[in-house]
Amino acid sequence: MSSLFKPSSNTAFRVALVALALLFGGGLIAGPMIYVRTPFFTQQQDPVDQPVQFDHRHHVGDEGIDCRYCHYLVEKSPSAGVPPTSLCLNCHEQIWNKSPKLAPVRESYFADRPIVWNKVNKLPHFVYFNHSIHVRQGVGCVTCHGRVDEMAQVEKAQSLAMGWCLECHRHPERYLRPRDQITNMTYKPTEDQLAIGKQLMEQYHVETRTSCTTCHR
Amino acid sequence: MPSLKSFPIAGQRQKLWRGLDEHGAPPAPSRELGAAPPPDDATSRRSVLQLLGASAALASLGGCLKPPDEKILPYTRQPPEVTPGNPLHYATAAVIDGRATGLLVTANEGRPTKIEGNPDHPSSRGAVGPLEQAELLRLYDPQRLGVVQHLGQPSAWRDFLQATAEKARALRDSRGAGLRFLMEPGSSPLVGRLRQRLADTYPQAKFSSWSAIPLQQIHDGAQLAYGAAYEVRLDLSRARVVLSLDSDLLAALPGTLPAMRDWAEKRDPANGRLARLYAVETNLTVTGMNADHRLRLKPTHLHRFGLALLGRLAAQVPALSRYAPLQQRFPLPPESAKFADAVAKDLVAAGRGALVSVGPRQPPVLHAAAHAINAALGSACAAAARPVLHDTNAGPRTLEQLVEEMRGGKVDTLVITAWNPVYGAPADLNFSKALSQVPYSVYRSLYLDETADRATWVIPSLHPLESWGDARAHDGTVTFIQPLISPLYSGASEVETLAAFLGEGDRTAYTQLRAFWESERPDHFALNWEKWLADGFIGGTATPPETPAVRHDQILAAAMQVAPADSSAGIEINIVPDYRVWDGRFGNVSWLQELPDPVTKVTWENAALLAPDTARKLGLRQGDRVDLGLRGPPAHATVVIAPGHAEDTITASLGYGRRGAGEALCRGLGFDTSPLRHTDAPWFSPGLTVTPVGKRARLAQTQEHHSMEGRLIAATTTVEKLKETGEELAESRAPLLTAYPGPAYPGYRWGMAIDLSRCTGCSSCMVACVAENNIPMVGKEQVALSREMHWLRVDRYFIGDDTGNPGVVVQPLMCVHCEYAPCEYVCPVNATVHSDEGLNEMIYNRCVGTRYCSNNCPYKVRRFNFFSYTSDYTNTEKMAFNPDVTVRARGVMEKCTYCVQRIERARIETRLQDRRIRDGEVLTACQQACPSGAIVFGDLNDANAKVRRLHEDERRYDLLHELGTRPRTAYLARVTNPNPELA
Repeated sequence: MSSLFKPSSNTAFRVALVALALLFGGGLIAGPMIYVRTPFFTQQQDPVDQPVQFDHRHHVGDEGIDCRYCHYLVEKSPSAGVPPTSLCLNCHEQIWNKSPKLAPVRESYFADRPIVWNKVNKLPHFVYFNHSIHVRQGVGCVTCHGRVDEMAQVEKAQSLAMGWCLECHRHPERYLRPRDQITNMTYKPTEDQLAIGKQLMEQYHVETRTSCTTCHR
Repeated sequence: MPSLKSFPIAGQRQKLWRGLDEHGAPPAPSRELGAAPPPDDATSRRSVLQLLGASAALASLGGCLKPPDEKILPYTRQPPEVTPGNPLHYATAAVIDGRATGLLVTANEGRPTKIEGNPDHPSSRGAVGPLEQAELLRLYDPQRLGVVQHLGQPSAWRDFLQATAEKARALRDSRGAGLRFLMEPGSSPLVGRLRQRLADTYPQAKFSSWSAIPLQQIHDGAQLAYGAAYEVRLDLSRARVVLSLDSDLLAALPGTLPAMRDWAEKRDPANGRLARLYAVETNLTVTGMNADHRLRLKPTHLHRFGLALLGRLAAQVPALSRYAPLQQRFPLPPESAKFADAVAKDLVAAGRGALVSVGPRQPPVLHAAAHAINAALGSACAAAARPVLHDTNAGPRTLEQLVEEMRGGKVDTLVITAWNPVYGAPADLNFSKALSQVPYSVYRSLYLDETADRATWVIPSLHPLESWGDARAHDGTVTFIQPLISPLYSGASEVETLAAFLGEGDRTAYTQLRAFWESERPDHFALNWEKWLADGFIGGTATPPETPAVRHDQILAAAMQVAPADSSAGIEINIVPDYRVWDGRFGNVSWLQELPDPVTKVTWENAALLAPDTARKLGLRQGDRVDLGLRGPPAHATVVIAPGHAEDTITASLGYGRRGAGEALCRGLGFDTSPLRHTDAPWFSPGLTVTPVGKRARLAQTQEHHSMEGRLIAATTTVEKLKETGEELAESRAPLLTAYPGPAYPGYRWGMAIDLSRCTGCSSCMVACVAENNIPMVGKEQVALSREMHWLRVDRYFIGDDTGNPGVVVQPLMCVHCEYAPCEYVCPVNATVHSDEGLNEMIYNRCVGTRYCSNNCPYKVRRFNFFSYTSDYTNTEKMAFNPDVTVRARGVMEKCTYCVQRIERARIETRLQDRRIRDGEVLTACQQACPSGAIVFGDLNDANAKVRRLHEDERRYDLLHELGTRPRTAYLARVTNPNPELA
């Protein structure tokens, strides 16, 4: 009886073995690298529960309140700032002041105890991000935070991975907008974005800073 | 194919063995039988590798986990002045030994994180010493006493007030008989008023002050010279020749900061003629390290030298002619005589620019002699001014009187606000025993220390950053202390404790302070008050200098009563304040414990310092344990051989050998000098016995190098030789031949210049660096293994062959930010790279800890986190962290960043205003703290920047220039001004 397999099948088997091993080994390395870039890990599009059911759709979309009314530190501080409870009561002292949904807000104000919000856009502690300079140089809120005016619960819009940051730090012209359009959720460049971006870079003295200590100190 | 036989058969357990030894080993003892099993220390290479592999696998798994949940807690009502994310700065003060240094403290979201000097303060002018900066760590010390104690049991401030109210009623009836106050020497106008009111309420009560480092002898000397207590205001801005007689005026200790700044200007060759400094001292001090000429004398010879100098000046200065007999009375050995002759001649030639400065440890007669010399020469550098302290007699004699009363049962109530008299008082007073005889004692303290053990009531003190108060600065300027944080623990300030005896214990310090100043200065008070608090002081309140007449006859009479030197005195003890823990009160501050002593470079303890020749004579080696005895039980010390120390003398610093229950950090470090201190001789005394005990101890000394191996590392030259050495210096900054075009730095080009002529080695910069950059302290054992984490170190080199009295040069050294950095070439993971502005960046999150960079660094400025030093910090300790700097984990390399967080903050601030960073807008932490202005940082592309001018200075040289690393930090050679007559 002749052999079931030809002698060359030995070679084929060995090649297949090596290829399998390489695939498995490569997968061990590549797998996690792919995984950390998926929304499973970055928690993108993952609405975060909050102690108060604050609806940005209503406040930003329906009422048209400017982002900076509540996040008023954004132009002068590294942090955009979650508003103090007293700021909520500027309006809600008068309207919806008996709404059960706002009970935690009133409780916080009268007990002088902060509302404990869950952080949505988390950065590692060795990253130092500064809102004020980005806003000043023409980076719109929507560029990083997405269409907040369409979010019932705020979710992370971008991966906030270093490669994503560097994309803009290397080519700011692709993303810049005029300073008066910063909080505009529906801004569309009237002409070619690259042309506007280049012009804005010049006008705002935007530098492409990619040195490590720009963000890591 | 491998044979299946070599695989273990499933389910079958067999003893595996590699050799007969292993096979025949006796079975391990059973767990149930006998004593505890021996520790399993047989860690094989294999098991280590297994563990390594497992931990690596676990670590990489950790990366797959999702980032932890984080919370945001906004204010409910945001204070209008707070912008979360941007720090605030408040003017306040640190009070050490009763006198204030103006501070500017940074607060991040309500927690103080950095202490700096107040640049507007007329006395300290922005400088700050290591002690003041370390107050921050005392604030966050988790070992602080947190609760009022009554007879060792937890109690409450209310209970204390109630008990005191009852006590006060009884005391009022007895007109205060038996009521005694033992106060910290103080200058606070508010406390002054309280004392007056207490004296009115309790006419028979008595106040006295105690400090282990009193200024009493300065005041007594002025009493002798002028007939009234005065203190000396130094103004070195006009100095030409300065003689320091045991006066450590360049050491960044309380009161020296303005003198240091002025002196630095006088030592910069760019400012014209250099001033000259002579130092006469026993142990090598920071001032001695900077002296052009230094004479080392035994303590008992020192003041006699001063009087002999006065005798020599009699022949040259007509106003001093009556002192001629002193020259015969105090004959000097040839070396001292030559020194005295040269100094006398130089002082006379300097005229108004002459200054004789005397240290506070010296006897009153020497202070008086200095007053006579300064007055006769018309010195513009020393002025007499009324003392700022309430009590001018805070020394051991005052304490002795109190102790006698306590022993005699005359003291019924004792209120102690002085720092720890049980520990600090000379042993012969036995204050501790006397205190236990007082029926009702109240002690206010930050820690549960030696005195707290014996007091009836212990009141936790509020830290200065938690309380309101006032004090006078060293020049008398009224300076305010304002809190930056609400008290972390329950406690009381000094004014609140005193007010309790007036029945006003519930009036807060703020209410009292404000009411007091409103009554003092009612005009436009509300407006002024805001301005004073914003400034931190009331302008124009310095005590004016006076020109009292010198009573030469009394000085001469006192001088003639001093017995001529006795050369057969044997070995003498010389007690000095410690550069780091002062009198011991900073003992629990790790920043200071790990700060190397500026002179000996010893950390975490004090030691018995002695000269190399004396050590040889006594047969002692470095690290030997000895018993030091002086009229009492011995002190157990470790020997450190100190070049530059006077022969036949042993120096020991105060503040160690602590025993307090509540101060775990410093308990048991070093040895206590109080058995060697006596009421009649608190500082020096002959008759010391030194007995080796035959044991040795390991010291954690950060620098034991005594040579520069022939290289130009810390360059020092003299005024005459500056031109000659100019060539050598020019060589070590000349451009090196290279085929590469080199990188261009069109934007900012950051650089630093360190002027060795200005640097005194005070080490204030090191503490500033630690505070700014979240640098962990590692402990004595790790320091002994050279694992200290200081990014900035101050190297001390001895010069010359004479080990007895060598020259010294000091050199601050941190990462020099090479343009061609050797560390960058060898990093396998690109964790250290170059920025577009020339910074050598260290990226912690990329670093895997190979330490190649450190090995390849010729300057040895890189530090490795061998352990996770900060992981066991309590939440309170973590509040001291600077939020702008990453807290590094284990296994990561770190080093000086040129305070890049400050550069980036300034960059963002200026770009928001659409302009470039101006010169002087970015100060590195070390630069900001330096009292002498020796460190300058800035943009080398800015033609008008100060750092650029210094880089073009004729004294500039590059460290290890021949390696071609092109460091961005340039050094300026030290220039000394020796007297040719003493050459």
